[in-house]
Amino acid sequence: MKPKDANDLLAPISPLHEGINSYGLGCSVTSKKAVTAEALRKFAAELMITVIQFCVESGAKDIGHIKAFIDHDTGFLHANTVGDPADVTVEGRDGQPLYSFNLVINSVLYGLGKEAVKDITERSLKSVLAKFGMKKKPYPKQQPEMT
Amino acid sequence: MKLVQIAGYLGSGKTTLILALSKKLAEEGQKVAILVNDVGEVPIDGKVMQEYGLEVKDIGGGCICCQVAGTMRKTLGLLAKNYEPDITIIEPTGIAVPNAIKEAVGPEAAKFQITFGPTIVLFDTTRAEKFLTYDPLIRLVSTQLKDADIIALNKVDAAPEDKIEYSKEFVQGINPDAKIMKLSSRTGQGFEIIVKAVRDFTA
Repeated sequence: MKPKDANDLLAPISPLHEGINSYGLGCSVTSKKAVTAEALRKFAAELMITVIQFCVESGAKDIGHIKAFIDHDTGFLHANTVGDPADVTVEGRDGQPLYSFNLVINSVLYGLGKEAVKDITERSLKSVLAKFGMKKKPYPKQQPEMT
Repeated sequence: MKLVQIAGYLGSGKTTLILALSKKLAEEGQKVAILVNDVGEVPIDGKVMQEYGLEVKDIGGGCICCQVAGTMRKTLGLLAKNYEPDITIIEPTGIAVPNAIKEAVGPEAAKFQITFGPTIVLFDTTRAEKFLTYDPLIRLVSTQLKDADIIALNKVDAAPEDKIEYSKEFVQGINPDAKIMKLSSRTGQGFEIIVKAVRDFTA
């Protein structure tokens, strides 16, 4: 996402943000088998837990915040964690069984480089998609509404 | 336009509190707008809030306290002009510095008659020790706390009493002038205090 104000192009980053890196990805996910509301919640929770696991293995000092947002024709879910697998939250509005949905993940970590954050996020998604028999398709990034 | 900031480190519970607060204020007849800034490259919090039917403007691509301050000013101007909210709640990124946001709004304050209400900073009591383990994190969290008018010790339902007391002493040491309170979004503890503080400001 690009800044909408030209002044932002010259703005320095606060030194207090040192060591904190983030990575976000958006995609469409498809499944040959119908995914129930319960299975979708399990998928979201498993995704959070897998990111935590890979973060710990990679030596992240602090899992700032991992978030995911899932939306489809009849509902939505949002999941998040700050690093405790027992405290992953998944909330939203369940819908009908589905064969595809949109997914956005954002990982913000302290103590790992940007490339590592990207790698963890992508590997986690790949691993969980394989576990649930799902596939990823490109999803165009959305720009913020400015009207 | 009246602005209230609800700030705090990553995962401190800002979005959950803002969802509840916005619904409550809207039920009381207030026209509420929310300006959300996600540190991630693809904003999520704004999408969640929109799904709950709230008026939200999303800013991504950096932090509004520094990198995208200009975008924030422009967005606030558009909100004031096109939506005319009774109150705008700002949810900065978890790494934002509240006073830097106030300073960044500065040039637009007179133009849109912007007044700032209390800066509420959330502190996650379940992760208190972690914030003291790494130097850059201490500096960041301490700076956020220093800028607070109200510090909400959040997630008190999930933290043992000794951690809550430790958190209280820690935040008091950093900002002795702030009002310090306990908050739990799960049980509702402390929520009415936040509502009252915002209601008093908008009255």
